[in-house]
Amino acid sequence: MSTELNPYQARVSLLQPALAFAALAIFLIASTASAQQANPLSSDPRAARAGGVIFRAQCATCHGADAKGISSIDAPDLTMMWTQQGMTEGRVFTRIQAGVPGSIMPSHDFPDTEIWMLVSYLRSVAVSGSTGEFTGNSENGGRLFAAHCIECHRAGSEGGSLGPNLVRITQRRSQPALRNSVRDPNSSIGRGYKPVVLSTANAAAISGIIKGEDAFSIQILDSNQRLRSFAKSELLSSDRDVDSLMPVFLERQLSESQLDDILSFLHQQR
Amino acid sequence: MNQSRVSPQILRRMVKKSSFVAFGLLFPALAALAQDDSGPDYGDILQGFADPSRWLTYSGDYSGKRHSPLTQINTENVASLRPVWTFQTGTTTRGRGFETTPLIDDGVLYVTGSNNYAWAIDAKTGRRFWQYRRNLPDDLTYGASAPVNRGFGMLGNSLFMVTLDAHLLAFDRRNGDILWDVELADYRVGYASTGAPLVIDGMVITGISGGEYATRGFIDAYDPDTGERLWRFNTIPGPGEPGSETWPDDPEILAKGGGGTWMNGSYDPELNLIYWGVGNPNPDYYGDSRPGDNLYSNSLVALDADTGELQWHYQFTPHDLNDWDSNHMPVLADIQWQGEPRKVVMVGNRNGFFYVLDRVSGEFLLGKPFTATTWAREIGEDGRPIVLNDGSKGCLPDPWGSTNFMPPSFYPELGLFYLTARETCATFVPEEPSLAPGQASFGGVVFIDPEQGSGALRALDVQTGELRWEFTYPSPTFGGVLTTAAGLVFAGDHEGNFMAFDAVNGENLWHYQTGSRIWGAGAMTHVLDGRQYVLIPSGTTLTAFALPER
Repeated sequence: MSTELNPYQARVSLLQPALAFAALAIFLIASTASAQQANPLSSDPRAARAGGVIFRAQCATCHGADAKGISSIDAPDLTMMWTQQGMTEGRVFTRIQAGVPGSIMPSHDFPDTEIWMLVSYLRSVAVSGSTGEFTGNSENGGRLFAAHCIECHRAGSEGGSLGPNLVRITQRRSQPALRNSVRDPNSSIGRGYKPVVLSTANAAAISGIIKGEDAFSIQILDSNQRLRSFAKSELLSSDRDVDSLMPVFLERQLSESQLDDILSFLHQQR
Repeated sequence: MNQSRVSPQILRRMVKKSSFVAFGLLFPALAALAQDDSGPDYGDILQGFADPSRWLTYSGDYSGKRHSPLTQINTENVASLRPVWTFQTGTTTRGRGFETTPLIDDGVLYVTGSNNYAWAIDAKTGRRFWQYRRNLPDDLTYGASAPVNRGFGMLGNSLFMVTLDAHLLAFDRRNGDILWDVELADYRVGYASTGAPLVIDGMVITGISGGEYATRGFIDAYDPDTGERLWRFNTIPGPGEPGSETWPDDPEILAKGGGGTWMNGSYDPELNLIYWGVGNPNPDYYGDSRPGDNLYSNSLVALDADTGELQWHYQFTPHDLNDWDSNHMPVLADIQWQGEPRKVVMVGNRNGFFYVLDRVSGEFLLGKPFTATTWAREIGEDGRPIVLNDGSKGCLPDPWGSTNFMPPSFYPELGLFYLTARETCATFVPEEPSLAPGQASFGGVVFIDPEQGSGALRALDVQTGELRWEFTYPSPTFGGVLTTAAGLVFAGDHEGNFMAFDAVNGENLWHYQTGSRIWGAGAMTHVLDGRQYVLIPSGTTLTAFALPER
């Protein structure tokens, strides 16, 4: 008989002895709370630690040790899921327990307490939004956004499509991260926004962001915001070692206080 | 959006929305950006098949004929048709199908799939630009009976899709971002939505599923820019409204009367009328609680596009007891009728009859059975069926009907209407259901004789309803039909074959096994870089066919 281990179904003893104590204590507190409500462990910092142990043993094969997902198997980035509208701890609990039918995400018959530990862990690694005050002048920020950003970025109901949609961006990114994206956009370019410059016999330099690619073709959203596909055989050159399509904004182009204004404007776009 | 291409109606709306105008004045960059690629406007959709590189609405044009003028692939060369690429969706609906019709503009296909997935796909290679997946609630009621979707509507750089939790979404077609999201109705009661939105001048029109639940159907119009609702037509009248006399005098029964509108409609821009089919009354099989004709269930309704007001209706199956929804694609054509030019609408109905109606007045012109149905064999002078077998004598068309929502096709030059016919034998046993929100209420059970079932592609003479030719399939089939002006009919069957036929005599000229039943979808066709493609969804795949490159 085959003894092949199915990593998705493996059910092993996970808890190290020290954590087991903590888990037991938490279990006694939590056992009266029924599933699918608020996390009964949310105030206990040990729950996230214990959940991390379970996560690495049970979930990391697909979701990655950092919970950021593995795109080749469509395992989502769990650090970003809390920014989805309507995402609650109860919903995450149910998803872990019931799995996702039709996908490789299985159901799990873990004790409720262990599932809540996982929820606590996932909460602890959630990409944090911006904390602290937004002190800029959002009205001026709106004007600056229209002058500098709207051609490529959407905020509210208006804007371009070349760069990421900035609606609720302050809930997903910290202020330092957002500032860094403006001052040094090449330091981190998100998946789906990798720049490329292509040339063909008919066109010298077509710049855009890569949306898809196989051995014979490449699909881009070009800088005119048009979806286009090219056969690689028709390309004279394909340069990926290029700067982000997002321009660098130095302080002399956009002062710190103007940047504050833009961030305040974005914080209001919900 | 280029100003010169903005319709007066949209301009009017823009002016109404002073905040929007102020935003535009403040942000001139927006206008500069918008000139790059504004996408198709209403005038382009109105042109239908004029631009062979485009297919901008579910049937290719507003008429619902699904008849393309393309002729590169013809009866002589179709035998050498071969697959160019296959797109794998990775999402499926067990027991049903991949029911979408892709739209195409500027070389990009916009495709919706099961479970509210959607994609932008390069039409040349089948490679995807983006994918969308909706986070659906865990407690879906499946008012749609299955997690399917039939396609996008398109206007400018926006795409419109309905969802299984009964929302209407607007997408940015360049990256799949959601522009707005409005709730059509509460899915927890049993509502869902699966049709392809119909985009007309300044409006997105959509219907709703849920007739197997204690729901009340409607057809809605929304502002494409904002998602604001412009009008709603309720398919089941309210107390005291016209049509309520065909129901018991009980507001509760009316409020749960069913009448889903889950298939798409067609549109006559000259008459400014929308034509839309209405589904079964609720409960499906149990009629004792709802004596009367139960308008506007199982009817075709013609609505004023500006207001949603009912202009006329024709009920195919009064007091339906068999779940024979009339959710079919209404096919509009201008034909010679008994020597006179006539604007007609044609419907191949689930009850087994092919109908021709005057689409200006709703006048009944022709009703003729296209299957061996024992339910009725003729329509009376008054336009009502002469019912021979209400089900008590057994062997009626099953609840999936003599045909269904799979699109038919009309070939004007030949005067032939092509549809997929289903020959089945079912016995209905009604039972009084309890009506609870979120719980299906069929009102009985159905026994379908497994020994008696077959399918056929049938060509009907629209002047008489008579069968011109048929090609039979071994089982009842759900594939749709496409015709092209090169004398071809494309059709799919339950066994997975995608086929081409001579439109004149029904000779099979080509077939390709797709590996999964073709269900609910009809093929579409377009030209890219001088080459004609034919696309068919099947199972979890979308496959593009073309002639070999020379």
